Amino acid sequence: MSVLRPFRATDAFKFNNVNLDIWTETYGISFYLSYLSRWPDLCCTQEAPNGRMMGYVIGKAEGRETDHHGHVTALTVAPEYRRLSLARKMMGLLEHVSDHSYRGYFVDLYVRCTNVVAIGMYEELGYSVYRRVREYYGSLGLGRSGKDEEDAFDMRKPLSKDTGRRSIRANGREMIVSAHDVS
Amino acid sequence: MSAAFDRQIRPVYDALDSNSNKSAVVACNKLLKKYPNIILLKALKALALVRQQKVEESLALCDEVFATKPTDDAVLTAMMHVLRGLGRQTDIITLFENAYKQQPQNGELAIHVFYANVRTGNWKAAQQIATKMAKQFQDDRFLYWSAVCSILQAKDPSTPATLKPVLLKLAHRMVTSSTVPSYHSADRLYVHLLILRDLEMYDDALTLLDSEIGKLICNTSLTVDEIRRDIKKLKGLVKEEGEVAQTRILEKKDRNWLEFLSVLDATFWDVTSVPEPTEEAREACKKHITQTQNLLQQVADLDGLKDRSGMLGLLELEKRARQHGFSTDASRTLSLAEKYFMHFGDKACAVEDLQPYIAFEGDDLAQWTSFLETNKSFTSASEVQRGINVFKLVRYNLLESELTPELESTRAAEYTAAYLECLPYGKSLPDTELQPADDLAILAGHAFVSAWTQSKDEAFLHSAVSILEYGSARSKQSYRIRLLLIRLYHLLGAPSLALEHYRLMNVKQVQTDTLSHLVLSRASTYSLSALGDITYMSECMESSQIYMNNSQETAEFIVKAFELQKYSQVSEFIEFEDRLDNSLQRDLMKLEHVRMRMAHEPVNADLVDMELIELKFIFDRVHYDNRDFDVTPNYQPRCSPSFSEQTLPFGKELSASAEWLSAFLKTYVKIFQQASDLTDTVEDKLLIGDRPKPSTAPENQVPLNDRLAKRSPEEAEKLTTEEQAFYEYTTALSTWLGPYHDYVRPPAAVLLAEAAKASEQLKSGHSPKPPSSPANGSSTNGNGHYKKDEEPPAVTEPPQILFKFFDDMKERFQAVVTTSHLPPALLHIATMTQEAFIVLDAETTRFKPAAVIKTNKFNALSSSFKELRTKASEVLKEFSAQLLQLAEQAATQETRKSFVESSKSIQISSGFDHDYVLNVAKKTTDARRDIYKGIGEGITKVLKTHS
Repeated sequence: MSVLRPFRATDAFKFNNVNLDIWTETYGISFYLSYLSRWPDLCCTQEAPNGRMMGYVIGKAEGRETDHHGHVTALTVAPEYRRLSLARKMMGLLEHVSDHSYRGYFVDLYVRCTNVVAIGMYEELGYSVYRRVREYYGSLGLGRSGKDEEDAFDMRKPLSKDTGRRSIRANGREMIVSAHDVS
Repeated sequence: MSAAFDRQIRPVYDALDSNSNKSAVVACNKLLKKYPNIILLKALKALALVRQQKVEESLALCDEVFATKPTDDAVLTAMMHVLRGLGRQTDIITLFENAYKQQPQNGELAIHVFYANVRTGNWKAAQQIATKMAKQFQDDRFLYWSAVCSILQAKDPSTPATLKPVLLKLAHRMVTSSTVPSYHSADRLYVHLLILRDLEMYDDALTLLDSEIGKLICNTSLTVDEIRRDIKKLKGLVKEEGEVAQTRILEKKDRNWLEFLSVLDATFWDVTSVPEPTEEAREACKKHITQTQNLLQQVADLDGLKDRSGMLGLLELEKRARQHGFSTDASRTLSLAEKYFMHFGDKACAVEDLQPYIAFEGDDLAQWTSFLETNKSFTSASEVQRGINVFKLVRYNLLESELTPELESTRAAEYTAAYLECLPYGKSLPDTELQPADDLAILAGHAFVSAWTQSKDEAFLHSAVSILEYGSARSKQSYRIRLLLIRLYHLLGAPSLALEHYRLMNVKQVQTDTLSHLVLSRASTYSLSALGDITYMSECMESSQIYMNNSQETAEFIVKAFELQKYSQVSEFIEFEDRLDNSLQRDLMKLEHVRMRMAHEPVNADLVDMELIELKFIFDRVHYDNRDFDVTPNYQPRCSPSFSEQTLPFGKELSASAEWLSAFLKTYVKIFQQASDLTDTVEDKLLIGDRPKPSTAPENQVPLNDRLAKRSPEEAEKLTTEEQAFYEYTTALSTWLGPYHDYVRPPAAVLLAEAAKASEQLKSGHSPKPPSSPANGSSTNGNGHYKKDEEPPAVTEPPQILFKFFDDMKERFQAVVTTSHLPPALLHIATMTQEAFIVLDAETTRFKPAAVIKTNKFNALSSSFKELRTKASEVLKEFSAQLLQLAEQAATQETRKSFVESSKSIQISSGFDHDYVLNVAKKTTDARRDIYKGIGEGITKVLKTHS
């Protein structure tokens, strides 16, 4: 039970319980405002009935022709609200809007190759690895998993417009590109 | 301009692009020799200069270019940046207006005029230009720009209420005159609906919303859907909305809690929509309750463990049914809560979900507690969260009589034991993960703090710190543990450790506005700025960076929202900008910074003038409190104050900071006003850039001096005893010295003539003096040699309250030092007394030069100062000596031993090693020693530098 509502600029005053978590980056003002001034309908938040923020998603629409798609820039849920399918609901909204409002072909996102839990969740939601992007992320300085930590999987899920499911492929994990080749 | 010139000017742009402003100036000068009449060069030079903070030089060039009323694109762009750098936003409007007047067909220039007005929040002018543009350029977009500006003007507090409907009607006309219907885009529809809602034209709004396309937009835009809900409610269509929600819940499997609320609101509408419902209405409602109950039960059964909406809907339904006297089964809430717990008791949010429903008493409470206890077990990893929830829920309902120090410390030991038992479950997790047992350490910390609150025995705080430090070391990312430690370390007089934990939380960007209060409220108590340690001052500066970013960036996004036609964001961005710009924390930090700065450096004209101007601006602000207090965990029982309340620094509510700020602003504005030569006339003439918009708050319409003099008991109540005394002291001091300051202060004409001379020198190429006002007091011009018509005011005796202040402080210090106390109490007395001494210095500097004393026959005044200063020094010297003595006693083998001894209760549990606690003891006692020593030595330093 949570309220799904638009993410607003002033939510930045109350997202501490979400953003103090190490996996969530707090960006400068211009980051949030530039997303909101372009794709406000692809940014939403979930709120507990008592008004506490539970998590949010920030997305955008980009690409031309058959590359036109929705992109998940940031998806986060506060530690105390995990395992409640909140991410699933917010992704659902982003996919719905990308599909019906932007008429995109697919939705994509980047995830650290080491983030097994997240990858599992996205797979459950219908995403599959499209390609592996070398050194997309900065090091976490953990050193344990080396390259995997800095590499990203570009994961995609086709939308209704992609009737031929051309935006995905079976052997994505083997398709390796460098960070320069992606936007 | 020629291609050759373009080539020649390239290096100037390159230098500016790479921020090499000095070389940009050199390049400009070179070209200006060749082409002395090209204004673009002057504009670019002005830009390079303002970027180097050479304000005066830039100003002269800027005015020159401005006067030519340029229309050239490149000049306009450069000038826009120059004016922005000089803080002259309103002149940007004039700049583009002048250009547009000369080229009335140029749509780009019109857009710039519009944007310039948007940036400054000039909605009336923006609306007028947009309307004109709509007519002239036949573009629908401008109709919406005009409409949005009308709405904003209507919302502006300075707009008279009678004008609001007129403006909204105007907006309505604009939107409906568009050739393309508003549902062409979600954001246009949003504007249209907003107008219709505010004009109460609900039927028109509903026609739009109920159209096919309206429904489609609601389906993909949460923003439009939000206003749809609003309009339906305003129209009283609660029941219809409930039915829609029911369909969404059942058919689309929508689990947005808003839908459930709609169903619940509809359920009780028969009885809530009228003041006194009839029997029939109650019958209808009763029926409706049964229906809703079936619906929610159906959802709960269907969703099972997947979603908790159905279950919680049932709890909320029961709660409301009880409120309206419909509940038939007294124990239904209890059985629903139990059922809920069986289903979702392993989720971290189960506690906050249940809290609104479980305020049980008597038998219900006993039954609930025993039910919970049977579910408490920590024997496997998967049970940890459920076990934690049992602890939290039982704790939530504890009675006041159950909160004795003994019982609380027994509980703390139980929580600690469970913590140590559960720690192994998270052993294999990487450092980046939170430990599942964290909450148990937090619970133990809470119980110890509760025990301390009752007993005032510091030993409990030692135990709390020990267990929390232990937890923090095992769960490095747990910011919640750090939040508690920050509070406790302040209480224990170890601020450096609090700051350490704060920094490890990596607070940045906008978070500095909401969270810096954790370490910066009343930070001057802990600042060692007197000794040259500027840690806290830098923290203030760094935390204030966000406000600069806000004023530089946010307005551009408001413009962007217009440009990209995302109208739903315009007022959101404005609110965001406003809340940061007028943030209470911003000015609390500012004032703390001033207080630390005054201990750090001698009080001279530069400091006084600059701070006076800034504090006066702040004094006019209507503040927003953005500080986040909710982020600190609270697991204290519902009958008890929260953890935050229990650990308040100096026992004063932080939420009362607005009154605190007002009192301190009044104090310092008054002091600086007296110490400064800047009268309002001088300031008005010399100050560069726009003034803040005049506040429309009625209390701000009273003249400044009357507002400064106003005292209210509510305000004083929010101050600590020492601050109250200080407030009275400074009031007496400035009242006493006011007439002498006013007499000696050089007349405005003299200061302005000085300033004019300086600026002349600049134009003729001499190196300019810094752009400050002439110095006061001991400098060349302020020696009181101005011929005055009247005689100097006769010298009066200082008010006795000034001496009494120091005596009282001494007495308080002795009283505190000889009883059991926590360090901040002493530090507070010492630093407030030091502040009184510094203020005395600021208030008397003007009268120090022998010439001033002689000319004005102020000998008696001078000896009063001496007397006061001697008194203050004596008291402060004694404080200093005692603090240094305390420092020596603070970190010894004995204090460490007693710290370890006092946290014995948690060491009984196996696995908690003695060395660990010893380490915490060492760090805490060392930090305490350092602060005693630092403040003690700081006082000695201040006595020297400020005498």
